[in-house]
Amino acid sequence: MPTAVKPHRIRSCSHTQGSTRAHPHWNCTQMDSPEQKITKTVSRVDASKESMANSRQVIGINFCGPTPLMWRADDLKSVRELGIIGTLVGSLARQPRQNTRLGRPLELLPEEGRLLADMGRAAVIPDSTNEDPEVNPEQVEQYHAGLENSFQEQGALALEDRKATLMRVMTKKHNENSGSQEDSDGAVRDRLEALAHGFSFPRPAMAVQLCTARAGLSHCPEVRRFLAADWPIPRDERSETRFRVFRDLRRQGFYLTSAGKFGGDYLVYPGDPLRFHAYFIVVCISMDESMPLCDVLAIARLGSNVKKTVLLCSSGGSQEDDGEEVVYTSLQWSGMV
Amino acid sequence: MSELTKKTDEDVIEKPLPPNWILQHPMYQHLMNLDVGDSAQVHAAFLVYLDLAEVRQWKEVSGVGCSELRLVLLEGREKEGEPTQTVLPLPVHRGLSHRSVRSVLARGSPMLLCVVASDSSLVYQRMCDGLLTPDPPVGIQDQGRRQHRKRRQQH
Repeated sequence: MPTAVKPHRIRSCSHTQGSTRAHPHWNCTQMDSPEQKITKTVSRVDASKESMANSRQVIGINFCGPTPLMWRADDLKSVRELGIIGTLVGSLARQPRQNTRLGRPLELLPEEGRLLADMGRAAVIPDSTNEDPEVNPEQVEQYHAGLENSFQEQGALALEDRKATLMRVMTKKHNENSGSQEDSDGAVRDRLEALAHGFSFPRPAMAVQLCTARAGLSHCPEVRRFLAADWPIPRDERSETRFRVFRDLRRQGFYLTSAGKFGGDYLVYPGDPLRFHAYFIVVCISMDESMPLCDVLAIARLGSNVKKTVLLCSSGGSQEDDGEEVVYTSLQWSGMV
Repeated sequence: MSELTKKTDEDVIEKPLPPNWILQHPMYQHLMNLDVGDSAQVHAAFLVYLDLAEVRQWKEVSGVGCSELRLVLLEGREKEGEPTQTVLPLPVHRGLSHRSVRSVLARGSPMLLCVVASDSSLVYQRMCDGLLTPDPPVGIQDQGRRQHRKRRQQH
């Protein structure tokens, strides 16, 4: 049972795993809450040992509809080392109303998920919401009891907090006014009593801890390996082309993210996206698909304006998996005014 | 085409061009006789030819037929002594397939796509094989710890 988290005044949470979005200081592999500026510097030797430990770990993927998501911080680290970037889409518990820094889950591109599955590194975690809630009434009861416990604990802690604040404020006032000691003691006592009677900890203020490293499948590596074979994504020609282009560019050592902002399929970076600008905007097309010329000119112009080369990419071969070639055509600024 | 006929003796009398002067142009007729592209594409090719040869002063501009693509292509040199380039002229309402682009690239010379609009404006787009690294953005410099100092001051 996780210990209750003090509401309103959370300072150090060494047990919660924060977002794994890597800090711009390249040496850091772990970052605590954003308010703390403490970053742990890991030497290169440690980092490589860690990555070796992670290297054969199977990564759990949860599906929300057709979208692959990842929740466990260790998994996020592992996939980053494999060159899979993904996008953080979750709200940070302590900074909810902003979009600059997001937390887990990490949403994967369909191609990223499929690449992990092909590498034998990913396992689909079955959706537990389909299970009949009647089947585990004890678990449900346990959960509610735990929540209630946590609520009581948090209420008590909140009251302690308020009392301490009150004491501090009143002591300060007393020091300023320098009245008689008995008077101020009496006043403090009265105020504390009033507080104890009138205080109620509202339910919406309660902090609820979500365990992402939950027991069950994530602790049974054998079962996860068994499930690694199944990838439930439908395959059509467009997805196939996108996947082949993704795989080929990844093989060449590039890092890819989605390129919605630029009207393309992927943005291609020569290294980790946190350290480099993108070189290319990839547009995946089939060899025989007819492109409207206006669109070709428009995206080429956009590429010139943002200093990225637009790449037209097609999978040249037939339906066989290996041996087919991806062909790339670069759209270059002509310089002809 | 501004053609004024002056009635004075010392001025050169310029004959007004017939409305169908394009059709009578030898280059146009050559392109038509290649018997590959349709009339819209040939017309586009001719306009590109005029731009390359007359306006940009390219050298040795010629028209070639590509039977595989059923299109007229133009070849020429930007300057004397430079390698020949291939230009693919297309009217704007046409589509273009990647396969066609690869065909033209396969000819080996640097390739330009030229899109011709209905008002005769021309846009050139260079295409090449492979992954061409772009020029880096200007004005990139290491900000150092300035960003961090700014954030620390906020708290």
